[in-house]
Amino acid sequence: MFRYTYNTLAYGREPLAEGIARLARYGYDGVELVGEPAEQDVGQIRAALHRHGLVASSIISIFTPERDIVSTDPAVRRRAVDYVRGNVDHAAALGAEVVTFTPTACMKIVPGAERAREWQWAVEAAREVGDHAGECGVRIAVEPWNRYETYLINRMDQAVAFVDEVARPSVGVMADTFHMAIEEPDIAAAIRRAGARLTHVHLADSNRAAPGYGHIDFGPILAAITDVGYDGWISYELLPAAGDVWGVLSGAGAPEFGDAYTEAAITHTKKIVSDLRTVR
Amino acid sequence: MTRPLGLSTFLLASPFSDDAARPAFEQVAALGYDLVEVCVEDPGRLSAPALTEAARETGLAVGVCGAFGPERDLSHDDPGRRRQGVDYLRDCIDLAAAVGSPHVAGPMYATTGKARMLGPDERAQQFRWAAESIREAADHAGECGVTLAIEPLNRFETDLVNTVERGLELCAATGRDNVGLLLDTFHMNIEEKHLADAVRLAGDRVFHVQVAENDRGTPGSGHVPWAEFFGALDEIGYHGQVVVESFLPTVAEIARAVSLWRPVADSPQALARDAIAFLRSVDDSRDRS
Repeated sequence: MFRYTYNTLAYGREPLAEGIARLARYGYDGVELVGEPAEQDVGQIRAALHRHGLVASSIISIFTPERDIVSTDPAVRRRAVDYVRGNVDHAAALGAEVVTFTPTACMKIVPGAERAREWQWAVEAAREVGDHAGECGVRIAVEPWNRYETYLINRMDQAVAFVDEVARPSVGVMADTFHMAIEEPDIAAAIRRAGARLTHVHLADSNRAAPGYGHIDFGPILAAITDVGYDGWISYELLPAAGDVWGVLSGAGAPEFGDAYTEAAITHTKKIVSDLRTVR
Repeated sequence: MTRPLGLSTFLLASPFSDDAARPAFEQVAALGYDLVEVCVEDPGRLSAPALTEAARETGLAVGVCGAFGPERDLSHDDPGRRRQGVDYLRDCIDLAAAVGSPHVAGPMYATTGKARMLGPDERAQQFRWAAESIREAADHAGECGVTLAIEPLNRFETDLVNTVERGLELCAATGRDNVGLLLDTFHMNIEEKHLADAVRLAGDRVFHVQVAENDRGTPGSGHVPWAEFFGALDEIGYHGQVVVESFLPTVAEIARAVSLWRPVADSPQALARDAIAFLRSVDDSRDRS
């Protein structure tokens, strides 16, 4: 039985309590939060979750030029690691199970140092946040991004190699089907190769809209997620068709990412999961 | 139906030049392709006589595709910069006419890689400028018997034309019959809800086709729904060229926009060889059915 959650990043500047209410309305089990601990009141979020019978599932980390795990500036690297540690603390305080991790600033596509050196910085950072997460009972999910958002870890095989080198039980890999539809020849096969390392899942269709609004066949993907024994969260990270997604979400917004996609995402997935059960 | 198959020079040499033409054309002919698509990164290094000579010697046809770097922005705020863009496109049109290419293809409406946050009014203005610039170029192309094939790009490479639907709006805004679309499966995989529906929507406005796998690698090696895509091209009666396009890691003019960080095949030669084998096998299986 999967548990379902939805990344509230898509709700833009809407107050979090409204997003939590919406997710409860459409049958979600959890809420995925954007990792900005300084802007979020743990007490208020817990109260809203309690009111609607939901839990915090996961926290997505936002990596900017000021929070770049492989910056050539040691102060920036330190700040990035401290930021992820802060997200782990935030997760522990909220009862969330997973914090995401990607070792470059989002949209950074030119390396600042040699690959081997950046890789080593990233491994060391992941070990440090992984050790901290382990102490807090939280897991770290390393997320590959598509070629337009990063250059360092674009594919599952790279994430698997990274996580194996990090070698911490609290650090695993993440699958996001939007990125994978660009980078992987076979999404389901990539998930099978991740195996027991699979720690978090973002479903989005080929165009980053709700599953069912693009052309990804989610049947084999959900079968693979089931077969590797994954018992974590199924989340949806749905974002507008733009290079600058936050510009769109924080501006005029993208109303379809509210009720329409929130309902469609879970409905479409549950239908496929139910069909798979019947077939098996 | 069998369509002429081509290979993009982006896989052969970048920037492509007269000096590279003869060996490149020989290589492409040996692989069994019907044409070479010449990407005009540096117009000063390409001339019609060298290309036609190489084409005649090898029995290949020539297609022309533009590369729209920062100095070639047909919808820039500054009219002088738009003029530069139109002048470049006119050079491409003259080259196309001289080498017998039926079209100039490419994302000619803006600099590739420009993906900014714009308000609706600014966006509409940029669109009007694109239409105005392309209309002027289309009139010149019309006099030369050449068409323009506008390529929608994915959201990370442009903010102006991402889908067939939007591309058709731009074609209509130019008001010219010799302006149509270039469909590229790599971009369609990201942006179109359904590839065959998009092909059917484009219909007789499909002037050109480029193919690459979902990761820009060898067609047939990933999850692009090829049977559906080519079936839809059959339905709309598209008889034109199908060109394999990927990029060398050394691509210069639009490197950042393309963001290809790793080899997507063992080598460009392997990609070119495996791509034509796959495309011919698709042709064969359709002929049998």
